[in-house]
Amino acid sequence: MNSFYRRACIHAHSVIALLCMTFLLGGCDSSSRTPSQGVTRTSDGKILLKFWNGFTGPDGKAMEQMVARFKKQNPDVTVQMQIIPWGTYYDKLTLALAYGGAPDVFVMHASRLPGFAAYDAFQPLQQHFASSQPPLGAKDFASVPWQGTFYKDQQYAMPLDVHPIGLFYNTRLFKEAGIVDAEGNAKPPKNLDEFLDAAKRLTKDTNGDKRPDQWGFVYTWQRTNWLTFAGQFGASILSPDGSQSTLSAPENLRALSLMHDLIYKHKVAPKPEGVDAWLAFRQGKVGMTLEGIYMLTSLEEQKGLPFAGAPAPQFGPKQAVWGGSHLLCQPRGITPEQSQAAWRLMRFLSDDSLIWARAGQVPARLDTRNSPQFKALEVQSQFAKQLEYVQYEPLHPKSDAFFPLIEPALESVLLNISTPEEAMRDASRRVNQLLERQ
Amino acid sequence: MRITPVGATISPSRRGDGAVGLLFALPHLILFGTFLLAPVIYGIYISLHRWHILAKEHPLIGLANYSAALTDDIFWVALRNTVYFVVLVVPLGNLVSLLLALGLASLRRGATFYKIVYYLPVIISIAVVAVLWRWIYNTEIGLLNLYLGSVVNWLRSIGLPLRPFEPLPWLANPSWVMPSIALLTIWWTAGANMVLYLAGLGNIPDDYYEAAAIDGASPWQRFWAVTWPLLRPTTLFCLVFSVLGAFQVFGQSYVLFTAVSGGSQSGPARSGLTLALYMYLQGFRQYEIGYGTAIAYLLFAIVLILTVIQFRLLERRDASSKV
Repeated sequence: MNSFYRRACIHAHSVIALLCMTFLLGGCDSSSRTPSQGVTRTSDGKILLKFWNGFTGPDGKAMEQMVARFKKQNPDVTVQMQIIPWGTYYDKLTLALAYGGAPDVFVMHASRLPGFAAYDAFQPLQQHFASSQPPLGAKDFASVPWQGTFYKDQQYAMPLDVHPIGLFYNTRLFKEAGIVDAEGNAKPPKNLDEFLDAAKRLTKDTNGDKRPDQWGFVYTWQRTNWLTFAGQFGASILSPDGSQSTLSAPENLRALSLMHDLIYKHKVAPKPEGVDAWLAFRQGKVGMTLEGIYMLTSLEEQKGLPFAGAPAPQFGPKQAVWGGSHLLCQPRGITPEQSQAAWRLMRFLSDDSLIWARAGQVPARLDTRNSPQFKALEVQSQFAKQLEYVQYEPLHPKSDAFFPLIEPALESVLLNISTPEEAMRDASRRVNQLLERQ
Repeated sequence: MRITPVGATISPSRRGDGAVGLLFALPHLILFGTFLLAPVIYGIYISLHRWHILAKEHPLIGLANYSAALTDDIFWVALRNTVYFVVLVVPLGNLVSLLLALGLASLRRGATFYKIVYYLPVIISIAVVAVLWRWIYNTEIGLLNLYLGSVVNWLRSIGLPLRPFEPLPWLANPSWVMPSIALLTIWWTAGANMVLYLAGLGNIPDDYYEAAAIDGASPWQRFWAVTWPLLRPTTLFCLVFSVLGAFQVFGQSYVLFTAVSGGSQSGPARSGLTLALYMYLQGFRQYEIGYGTAIAYLLFAIVLILTVIQFRLLERRDASSKV
């Protein structure tokens, strides 16, 4: 091939690439939506609702089921549900909220709500709550998730659920270790002493190499475990006015020391180093772990694993447990008609939340939670006992930015690289720096 | 090579050629301008503002993002990790590439096969490489620990006084993380430099080796007296580009740590945090685009300074080799 011809080819490629770009850019504008009188309709005249969430697991199947029921009861509406893995969900949602293309209904974690509300990203929903039939209000929801839907006195969301962590324990290992009640059933620990006693009896070397291969306890997600310990010792990330970090406060140091001691002093938990803790629990090599209720289906899928759930033991002076909530929101700037249609979906999902509960959630609606069907769900109803003292992450616009600063500090404490004092001094300084940076 | 200034030696009557040339260059210039130059300039503009992605207004704050980065100790952690990575990867990686090239150059048969084998990792995308190595490095079920474990067991079985094998925390212990990332990077990129070294070796005339052999030089002496000095331009070139590439390390940490849900975003105790990753986390996880862009420009400045220094070195090398 002579060189002139080759160059011509290269240029031809560039031109083609350029043309493609032009078409792509041009294509952006002609999206499939056809708004008429403030409502988006499909070609066959139905109202089109776009609904985004991150439920990639069995929870996604439950949600699909609920959406299908909604469509059946509301033949004039069709729902386009898009499930985006949580890992990229907020990236995509943020871009859509910033530059257009946001869905009509989307799921938001309670701890993330202030971060978006501070930038005025949501449609206020008081009107819908007030005019909904039958009426819906504070009295119908558990108080923690209800409070979590507000930011600066504006209500921006419908609370769907609460998902606290709690104690999952292996009943077979408990019985083998003789940790049973009068009837011979496995007896979950309620306080620190019982917890330590059980954990020590469950930690065993079963193959004789003088190293334990069965553990009393494992840390799975350090963030939620720490928030639970910290909450029980009365510690928090921020001062009550949200102006500065309180990570270095003695309450938090006590909580962290206890977490550290479970590994290095009491020796009932493995060093979190290359251990797939959740897998180990599923494989029956671990007695207890503190995990979210949303992990329930992962255990139910595990064949031959005898397990049960209980409220998290009380390690510190007060009751507390970390929990999150899925909230349903609408984007700012949605037309009133579209917003009304979107509210119908939100209301339906709230009314119908028993299906949601089965997928490993505690519904935010009190009527569902008090129903006999829900009470029949063993683990869910155990975890639901903690609802009065569930604690979210701090509801601060920068909440999500705290954890990349705190988690490495937690890790270095649990890996025995730094003392709680050192680690929290650094984390605290960084959180303060972040708060100062407006 | 010398570039002739337009109009200096070309007669005015042929000036029309310049326009035709420009026309031919236009497709590239448009792409270059739209997708490289414009974003780069826009990036400088963004870095001078407080620019949250959701905010309606982006106030001008001058150099505050830059000073914030320089007083942010995590920025320095990221820089330290990046430099550590460069120091690990560049000399060792080049040594491996050179050894592979030397080995291949001395092969009589099958060189093409081995060339392909060693070059193959280079064409795999980093996402695939990192996912693969995440499994290889897994402490409990990883391939590397499995093999190491059986080697240790075998050595024990033939009576060596070794302690039982403890699984190594490749990606779980902060002090292991960077060396592990460096190892996978060397595996991934060694083939690219190997090809360059092979070309460099091919350019050395056989006469020199024959002359050296006649003078009775040992293979070791031949390497030091002939190969090494004559290969120097290649070596320098490879080093320069390895340093530039290594400073921008991103994909490894991103796939190993950030893209894993529920994990800490940058490896245990931030041990996998590199400058490029920190830039990404600030820009696309915290949505602080202004701050992230400022970090990007600081990284750019570092790489630019290094490039200038290294090209000076290259030039001096060229100048002295002409003497």
